[in-house]
Amino acid sequence: LQDIRNTVGNIPMEWYQDFPHIGYDLDGKKIYKPIRNKDELDMFLEKMENPDYWRTVQDKMTGADIKLTDEQVDLVHRLQRGQFGDVHFNPYEPAVDFFTHEVMIHPVTNRPADKRSFIPSLIEKEKVSKLVHAIKMGWIKPRKPKDASPSYYDLWAHEDPNSILGRHKMHVPAPKMKLPGHEESYNPPPEYLLSEEEKLAWEQQEVSERKLNFVPQQFRSLRQVPAYPRFIHERFERCLDLYLCPRQRKMRVNVNPEDLIPKLPKPRDLQPFPTTQALIYRGHSSLVRCLSISPSGQWLVSGSDDGTVRFWEVCTARCMKTLPVGGVVKSIAWNPNPTICLVAICVEQSVLLVNPCLGDKLLYGATDQLLESYVPPEEERVQPVRWVPASAEEHSRGIRLCIQHSKAVKQVTWHGKGDYLASVVSDSSSMQVLIHQSSKRWSQSPFRKSKGLVQVVLFHPTRPYFFVATQRYVRVYNLLKQELTKKLMTNCKWVSSMAIHPGGDNIICGSYDSKLAWFDLDLSTRPYQLLRHHKRALRSVAFHRRYPLFASGSDDGSVIVCHGMVYNDLLQNPLLVPVKVLKGHAITLDLGVLDVLFHPTQPWVFSSGADGTVRLYT
Amino acid sequence: GKAGTVTALCARRYAVEDVPFSVPAASETTDLSHLINKLLAAGNADHKYVEFDFLINGQFLRMPLVTHMEMENISTEEVVEIEYVEKYMAPQPEECIFHDDWISSVQASEEWILTGCYDQTARIWSLEGKSIMTIAGHTEVVKDAVWVKQDSLSCLLLSASMDQTVVLWEWNVEKNKVKALHCCRGHAGSVDSIAVDSTRTKFCSGSWDKMLKIWSAVPTDEEDELEEAANRPRKKQKTEQFGLTRTPLATLSGHTEAVSSVLWTDAEEICSGSWDHTIKLWDAETGDLKSTLTGNKVFNSVSYSPLCRRLASGSTDRHIRLWDPRSKDGSLVLLSLTSHTGWVTSVKWSPTHEHQLISGSLDNIVKLWDTRSCKAPLYDLAAHEDKVLCVDWTEAGLLLSGGADNKLYCYRYPATASDVGA
Repeated sequence: LQDIRNTVGNIPMEWYQDFPHIGYDLDGKKIYKPIRNKDELDMFLEKMENPDYWRTVQDKMTGADIKLTDEQVDLVHRLQRGQFGDVHFNPYEPAVDFFTHEVMIHPVTNRPADKRSFIPSLIEKEKVSKLVHAIKMGWIKPRKPKDASPSYYDLWAHEDPNSILGRHKMHVPAPKMKLPGHEESYNPPPEYLLSEEEKLAWEQQEVSERKLNFVPQQFRSLRQVPAYPRFIHERFERCLDLYLCPRQRKMRVNVNPEDLIPKLPKPRDLQPFPTTQALIYRGHSSLVRCLSISPSGQWLVSGSDDGTVRFWEVCTARCMKTLPVGGVVKSIAWNPNPTICLVAICVEQSVLLVNPCLGDKLLYGATDQLLESYVPPEEERVQPVRWVPASAEEHSRGIRLCIQHSKAVKQVTWHGKGDYLASVVSDSSSMQVLIHQSSKRWSQSPFRKSKGLVQVVLFHPTRPYFFVATQRYVRVYNLLKQELTKKLMTNCKWVSSMAIHPGGDNIICGSYDSKLAWFDLDLSTRPYQLLRHHKRALRSVAFHRRYPLFASGSDDGSVIVCHGMVYNDLLQNPLLVPVKVLKGHAITLDLGVLDVLFHPTQPWVFSSGADGTVRLYT
Repeated sequence: GKAGTVTALCARRYAVEDVPFSVPAASETTDLSHLINKLLAAGNADHKYVEFDFLINGQFLRMPLVTHMEMENISTEEVVEIEYVEKYMAPQPEECIFHDDWISSVQASEEWILTGCYDQTARIWSLEGKSIMTIAGHTEVVKDAVWVKQDSLSCLLLSASMDQTVVLWEWNVEKNKVKALHCCRGHAGSVDSIAVDSTRTKFCSGSWDKMLKIWSAVPTDEEDELEEAANRPRKKQKTEQFGLTRTPLATLSGHTEAVSSVLWTDAEEICSGSWDHTIKLWDAETGDLKSTLTGNKVFNSVSYSPLCRRLASGSTDRHIRLWDPRSKDGSLVLLSLTSHTGWVTSVKWSPTHEHQLISGSLDNIVKLWDTRSCKAPLYDLAAHEDKVLCVDWTEAGLLLSGGADNKLYCYRYPATASDVGA
């Protein structure tokens, strides 16, 4: 037999199924499968005819058929039976115990013990010295003694206190019953016993209103006390009380009431503002209705019911001029343009334009020139009013022009540039508000329809807006586009006065129902704040041109000065702090302060009153 | 208990031995005064009773000793030096001169009193209260009037008015004639204050138009040309004007509000108080702003004392404030004198005493102050029935005050020299 040794190793031989060879020999040559050209029929015939077919196996490694010998077949049978393959092996031979667990008298070997077994080990010594060194150096720490106390798991450590269990923990004890007093005694002192009238009254009282729910009784001894008839009933009521009245711990929030008030700065930190009365301007013999001041702040003009207009030197309270106008002066306005020296005065049905001839000569001369330079237009235009130049006698008194209206005029105001002025007529028609141009002597009525009784009108300081206050609303008109821009609800019953912040975005309105409404035009059409500091009707409100101050004058005779800071930052709302109540005016005919006005440059406020005086507070 | 010790420091006449005395704590100035007088009488048989005033650490004693020491935090256990000075005599009222209208300004010299009046005139009075001259010519209220030069034959004086002019007048004393020499034009507002410099050749004016202008005060025969094109109404006014027109030498601008008060602190420095809450110091030669003292109220009046080198200011509140014009950091008030109840309209330092000043206020009272007693004045002169608008103090010891009650009051106040340390 040729020694063929397949070198493919222990692999599934199916991998070579489709190849002609079945592996490689030691020299790397292919081992070819033996040629098999037997078909199924040949196989069957061979199985039937070959008597050794059952002992023929195929060698998978070579693919060759091998016929097993008798010994080999015998071995297979023995293995199948679970017997040793070697026929001569006897598994049941008696065993000889050479090394027993029992100590024998004679040792198995008689070799003397090694020297190393009784000489200390150098390696061990080396190791020990290393350990000792490490302990000395602190590299090895001695083992911590184990904590001997037992540790337990806290079952309730992470429990939610709001759970039902938590509620059990927050147990609210039942209210205790009142302890029995003297009246419950079987032998109460006589003052606890009810008299006949008291007993009668007790019987007639409602059960719920009775102070005692029983009548105290006296017995000679405890033995004689009968059973209490209402015992069961009262126990039952007590049970009902405990069971039906839910008991709850009151969660009280401690709120300091002062924290609820908005934090306002102290008035002391908001100086300067007027604090004391400094000067009294005396001279008028009747109520002083209106005030105005020259743009430089040197002159003050006041109009009164005594039919005169007085010009005052501000710093000394000296009356420089008195101009009789022959009628009650309802309103007065100094031209805000510093290059024009002109005062508009409302007297009955006309508006007088007066040159006070105060201040710079050049200026008031130029004002006269400006008025004289008027050239009448070629064709007469239809106007709602008549412009009448002053007569020579009137001219010498300072009156330059007279704008004659058809009805009584109650208010006049200048536009910031000093050419246009608006007047309000007491009328209910659409001709209530008129706008005049002084240089062209031309008037017009801006509104087609009447929207109610007009109280006050105002020009916006910088932009072409016009504010018209009726009894309850303030309407803002755009004069360029000729349309209504905004309608402000004042929440007041009757607006009396109005003033605009020099920045032009904030308005204050005073009303006869003693309210002052501050509007932030950027914020809303409703009042940003409604101040109710005055006790009686407000007559006048005013803004300071430079300082963050506004003031209101009222029938209660006081002027209230408030700090009104407006921020450029749109996100920050105005800060309003009342800073001072100024008193001084005597209340005459139920009227107190009729007009308030700020000095244009100093933090001073003027007030005119029904007592015929004008007062300056600084 | 007992407190303090009087250690005498007084005029030679009233010297007592320098021995500590024990004084009752509750004693007041009169008690102390009695004590000193007793000591003096003991030393000198023909001693007459003299009233004394007492100073502790430079502060006048105005209340019981113990209260004062508590307020000043002085221990009563230690020896306290109390100075004493002869009590200032009260000013003696002399004259009451009636005017036709409010008196806006007053300035007195050795012989005459010059007042500016709201009836558009300036007036000259003798010290006895006799009207000598009425200077009419302004078309508006005269706000200020000052002397420029005085000699026996003729005097120069200036008047400033609300009609925006300052007029330089020559007053011939012998003939008692007055002549307008120059009309100083250039201000565009009421001229509220004028001040003549120490050389008497220049003056400065402050006006409502926020400007200070420096003018020559020397009379000449030439007229300055007005540079601006005169328009028609101005021409008309010009023909009515008195004297030759004069234009300013220099204009100092820097104030943002009306100038209410102006003065020369020395030959080259002008000081001005304004409505813009500042006092500014200017170099008169160059016109430069030297420094600014900032207050928080409108200044009505400033006064400068060369003796103590302090500025006193009256503003639109109750206080008289003292400033150091030399201080560089500016706005530091050295002292406030508070007793008035209205605006202080006018202040004037004593020309002879470094501690004393006089003030007039809208509360109708003129007060005489010693800066060593800042809570209470030395004397209240409550004669006016209306606002006091101007005060003056002459070297001869005359106190003058004029006001809105049309009266000019004169007081004789013994000229006291600075006395402490004597």
